[in-house]
Amino acid sequence: MNIEVTIFLLRLLGVLSLLGFLLALFVVIWRNAGAAVQPLAAAGAGPGYLVCEQPRLAGDALRCTLRPIVTLGRAAGNTVVVSDDFASANHARILLESGKWWLEDRQSRNGTLLNGETIIRRTILTDGDEIGIGRHRYRLHLNQENLAI
Amino acid sequence: MTRTDVDNPLPVVRAVVGSRGRGNVWLLLLLAGGFVFAGMASITVTRASAGEPWAGFAVWILCTLGAASMLKWRLPNHDPLLLALSMFLSGWGLVAIERLAPAFASRQALWLMISVTAMLGIAAFPHVLRWLRGYRYSLLAAALLLLAATIVLGRNPSGLDFAPRLWLGLGAFYFQPSELMKVILVAYMASYLAEQNTALRARTGTSAGATGLSLRLVGPILLMWLLSMVILVWQRDLGTAMLFFIVFILLLYLSSGDLRLVLSGALLVLVAGIVAYQLFDVVQLRVDIWLDPWPEADGRAYQIVQSLMAFGAGGVAGAGVGLGSPGYIPVVHSDFIFAAIAEEWGLLGVVAILSSFGVLAWRDLAIALNHHGSAFHRLLAAGLTMTLLVQALMIMAGVLKLLPLTGVTLPFISYGGSSLFACHIMLGLLLRLSAGAR
Repeated sequence: MNIEVTIFLLRLLGVLSLLGFLLALFVVIWRNAGAAVQPLAAAGAGPGYLVCEQPRLAGDALRCTLRPIVTLGRAAGNTVVVSDDFASANHARILLESGKWWLEDRQSRNGTLLNGETIIRRTILTDGDEIGIGRHRYRLHLNQENLAI
Repeated sequence: MTRTDVDNPLPVVRAVVGSRGRGNVWLLLLLAGGFVFAGMASITVTRASAGEPWAGFAVWILCTLGAASMLKWRLPNHDPLLLALSMFLSGWGLVAIERLAPAFASRQALWLMISVTAMLGIAAFPHVLRWLRGYRYSLLAAALLLLAATIVLGRNPSGLDFAPRLWLGLGAFYFQPSELMKVILVAYMASYLAEQNTALRARTGTSAGATGLSLRLVGPILLMWLLSMVILVWQRDLGTAMLFFIVFILLLYLSSGDLRLVLSGALLVLVAGIVAYQLFDVVQLRVDIWLDPWPEADGRAYQIVQSLMAFGAGGVAGAGVGLGSPGYIPVVHSDFIFAAIAEEWGLLGVVAILSSFGVLAWRDLAIALNHHGSAFHRLLAAGLTMTLLVQALMIMAGVLKLLPLTGVTLPFISYGGSSLFACHIMLGLLLRLSAGAR
């Protein structure tokens, strides 16, 4: 075969596979973005939720949707009732203020943990944070697209 | 407590790094293979002198297939795009080096094999993230020691007297400790900042202005970072020093959310630049030829001017592999490989490289965003992404004369074993994080 034809064919192969690679990359991104939109829309109902990870409980006690003030403690009137010997009656609360979620200890006897550390004052929460009260561990899931209620 | 939505606790994460589109990855790898094949074949046809590029291609195929199947087996939830992109870029690097500096090609292929093996080791080994965190001071001390050793024992593979001695040599084997330092310093900063995360975020009341950022919080980091900076500046490895500084500021910003940090960081970069301009001849030269290269196009600015010529000569579709003349640019296979790609693959190639780095950075940042693990994992993912991205941007902008030239390599593509190795170590960690390591 003529050498110039060979070079031309090889260049064609190079350009086509390069364009193909970029196109396939685009398709993968496009599909992933499409797949990400649906669950987001479904989860868009609330600003986020709290899951009890430890101890693992079955059924309805699993999660709590966030509302502007979520109180945690041993007393029955709390949004989240923590049945733990080391929890105070009114232990802590999560509140929404100036567009951010905050964790606040309510002078509990044994303190409130954020990612394993005792909080001293009101602290901003972010997605994936772990809140510890007594032996209980709660994981916070925030819906980033829908911070305000 | 009330039960509100569906059972899937992490719908967004599942969707973004989920199993959909996994079949496309083999297609991506196949197309990347076709591209590398076309490049190697063109070199064989156009090169006058004898020489076989096919060993490099074989190594590339072996690495790609091995890595893809190994990751599928050991880390089924990883983000497959990361591997496709990195192998695409590394393959392109092999072709470009085979074309530009055939003498170095086999060495680069060997390093690719070592790097991919190390990447797989990191990605498949379950405790690596915990070790990186637990032994951070030992790792950092060892890396600093290696870095300091270059002052006394440093060598340059070229053997020239005036060249910077940033390498440690062992027989025919050279390694640049500052490359490894990148990974270890980012891991150290991420783990320390993650520990201080609660304190960094604590604010008194709602006054958003008062930040918890004090010397006590960032002191140790500042110290470690200063130590490595001193060594780097001592060794005149100013590009890497600049890279460290930018990544340091960005990580502090990510963990504290304080915008003033970025602004003062940018100011400090400027001040450091002016000071360095007064102190170092290298910096003075780089800035002078950045401002106006044309009067000295035949002299000190020869390299950058030839690089700009290469971009112009490439046009839209490029001159074709083996048909351009990027050889006019001195040491084109290392820092200036982007210019050679622009000449032989044209605008199309430049766009492909830019989009590959863009998608890579986007996927890596998605790992940091969606990771429901510890703050350490998020900061580590973000820090590694920043390192790769800032480095790529620095050298690409430098070659295009958008920024003063800083002597860093183009990740995955440039010639250089230590750089290739460090990039793959970072990629291995990112792959591990993308699989949702706990």
